Amino acid sequence: MTLTLGIFIAIIACLLALLVWALSSPRKRRPLNAGLAADLEQIGRRHATYLPLIRRALSPVDFVFLEARGPQKLAARVRKERRRVALSYLEGLHSDFLQLVRVAKVVAALSPEVAAAQELERVWLSVQFSWRYRMLRAEVYAGTVSLRSLDALSHMVSELAVRVENAMSELGERAAIAAQIASLLDRGGVDVA
Amino acid sequence: MPYIYGCATIRVVMPDLQTAQQMGWNFSIFLRVFLLCLLIFRRNVQFFPFFTTYLIVNLAKALALNLAYQAWGKDALSTYQLAWSMEAVVTVTRALAVAELCRTLLGAYRGIWSLAWRVLLSCAGLIVLYSVISSKHTWEGFILGSGRALELAIASVIVIVFLFLRHYEVVSELSVRYLALGFCIYACIAVINFSVLERYVNAYAEIWNALGVVAYLACLMAWTWALRKFIPRPAFHPLLFSRAVYQQLSPEINARLRSLNDQLSHFWGVGEPRS
Repeated sequence: MTLTLGIFIAIIACLLALLVWALSSPRKRRPLNAGLAADLEQIGRRHATYLPLIRRALSPVDFVFLEARGPQKLAARVRKERRRVALSYLEGLHSDFLQLVRVAKVVAALSPEVAAAQELERVWLSVQFSWRYRMLRAEVYAGTVSLRSLDALSHMVSELAVRVENAMSELGERAAIAAQIASLLDRGGVDVA
Repeated sequence: MPYIYGCATIRVVMPDLQTAQQMGWNFSIFLRVFLLCLLIFRRNVQFFPFFTTYLIVNLAKALALNLAYQAWGKDALSTYQLAWSMEAVVTVTRALAVAELCRTLLGAYRGIWSLAWRVLLSCAGLIVLYSVISSKHTWEGFILGSGRALELAIASVIVIVFLFLRHYEVVSELSVRYLALGFCIYACIAVINFSVLERYVNAYAEIWNALGVVAYLACLMAWTWALRKFIPRPAFHPLLFSRAVYQQLSPEINARLRSLNDQLSHFWGVGEPRS
């Protein structure tokens, strides 16, 4: 087999792999629930409701106290529970983040013109976020993530949602846009049929 | 140029074709006629004018070559020139048919379509340019290189369109997707076919040509299935936002995503957040 032939076979294999991926359904496309869909500004802020509880659950003070005074078995159990809570919380943040990205995609799909640089940047940022989210998850598993990290991450996602909502409100078309976006997201895609 | 000649004419007549391959090719002509009838009687012609043109030109090529063989013989220079001229026309109409399908899939969304067609055209142009430049500096090499480049461009364009559809979660008509898929699979096999023919002309020509016929038959069947009924036009066109919505929201979202990524990067790398 010559080099040229090998290269072309590799290119075709890559194209076919991309084709299969593009034709497959996204694994984690979660529909918005009806109540949430009606109120777009809630997207990305769900986790904020639980922030004080999460903060308390992950408080190092409690854990230090338990390690010093309680039995080791109890401390280990609490550590395990803390990790589980942190992971659930991270997953919630990730889900909210993805939902916001979906909103951005629908806005792009329903716009008469889009900027290539903006779209490309969002793809790149999403890839970066996805990678870093996985790394952060690994840190939680390893027990090396700090409470401040989660706290700041939570604020970042919340703030993003609020800023998007504010921007939409300023446009004066919020209600119509929110209804349209929510409807499209709930249907699982932008429909041309 | 016997093998180059074979590339263009193999689909119609080849002196040492096996019976199965010949039957396959005859069956493909029948399927093309059947497909054309389906397009007409299911009233899909108006929605796929270039696809219809491609089928007609493809059938015309088969007819013209048969006449040429009878008039000038299989090895005549005139037959060779006619075969490759017709092949060029078929390839151009195929490219137009693919462009038409891309527009059908994405055209309703002006914003992403305006982005998509620029990306698609750039990709196709670059692929063709690169392949033409890098092909052997002979007439045969140029023909094979250009043919392969065009097929590769067609395959890439369709894959990119499907990536756009997935990225923007655009739901499209299944039949149109099948049509595009048929073109893509056929183009992929044609690229391999061209590459193999370039290198192992005499030893494997028949095997690869047989594979080409089988692939084409499979595509024709997929197209026949896709066009077996009237393909409904979109009942509504999406109501687009005003320009201001995107211009205000998109930079805002990106800025926050960028900021979030910076934060994540900082957590990951240092373990302490920025204030």
